[in-house]
Amino acid sequence: MTEIPSTDEQDARITQLQQQQALLTQALAAALNGQWVGAPPSVEAFLYAIDPSLQGTLTLDPPYVP
Amino acid sequence: MSLDDDLNQLDQQQALLTDVLAQMLQNRWVGDLPTVEADLLALDPALQLAPRPPTPISQAPQPPAPGVQWNPSEPMPRQSASWTCSACSLAWVERSTGKNPGADEWSAVAEIGQPENINPTYGLMDGSGSQLQRVLKDSYALNSMHGWLNYDEVWTAVAHTTGMMSGGAWYHWVALRGQSGGDLWIANSAPGYKGVYDVLSREAFNALGPFSVVLLVP
Repeated sequence: MTEIPSTDEQDARITQLQQQQALLTQALAAALNGQWVGAPPSVEAFLYAIDPSLQGTLTLDPPYVP
Repeated sequence: MSLDDDLNQLDQQQALLTDVLAQMLQNRWVGDLPTVEADLLALDPALQLAPRPPTPISQAPQPPAPGVQWNPSEPMPRQSASWTCSACSLAWVERSTGKNPGADEWSAVAEIGQPENINPTYGLMDGSGSQLQRVLKDSYALNSMHGWLNYDEVWTAVAHTTGMMSGGAWYHWVALRGQSGGDLWIANSAPGYKGVYDVLSREAFNALGPFSVVLLVP
């Protein structure tokens, strides 16, 4: 396999994807723990960390956790 | 495929996964875009899904409203005096609700207030049951209502609550256990009086009324 040297911009995109991947993993863990909304660690909080522009745009109706 | 192409694809997949979270939070699980299902199929069109979405918080089961709790099978001893039916009925309500497990005919006479409110000459002085309501409220924090109710009203009510009642032509107080088919199931301290034991039919109710009824309310 030939390794192609990446540019700085590509390195930055990979770093961002890694950060988003880490946040996504934490969001899924929060979902599994039934922590859907509110302050971290919740799905809602991790989602806003991934994409801050979503704040204030969602109509929240998360799963009911008995 | 170049590294840029790979990164573009990863960006698109990341955006779809992010949107999955947003749709999950908004109870959009299945169906056309925007839903979790649509995002997943966009990520991998070969996925075979059998969705079973969770119940959203907007449709969560509501906790039951606090209602009146009582034991309809609580025994009713026979009254030892001719004038204490109301006291026996009150004591039964106190026991059946668990508020005063040791309540009996004479403890209830004392609570009602002898001789001003109950006495051997007249029995319970106020046929509306106001003194019974006072005891329930002041001593046991049990809220109640009073009414001159017809048969259907009482029969319907005792599916959800207990209380006491007295028939004008019966001149006798009994407590209310519940329904017995289409009849009223009563706690009667004078079984057999005027032909009534532990069940009161519609016909008997209408013959022995009108009925002054005290019902517990949540």
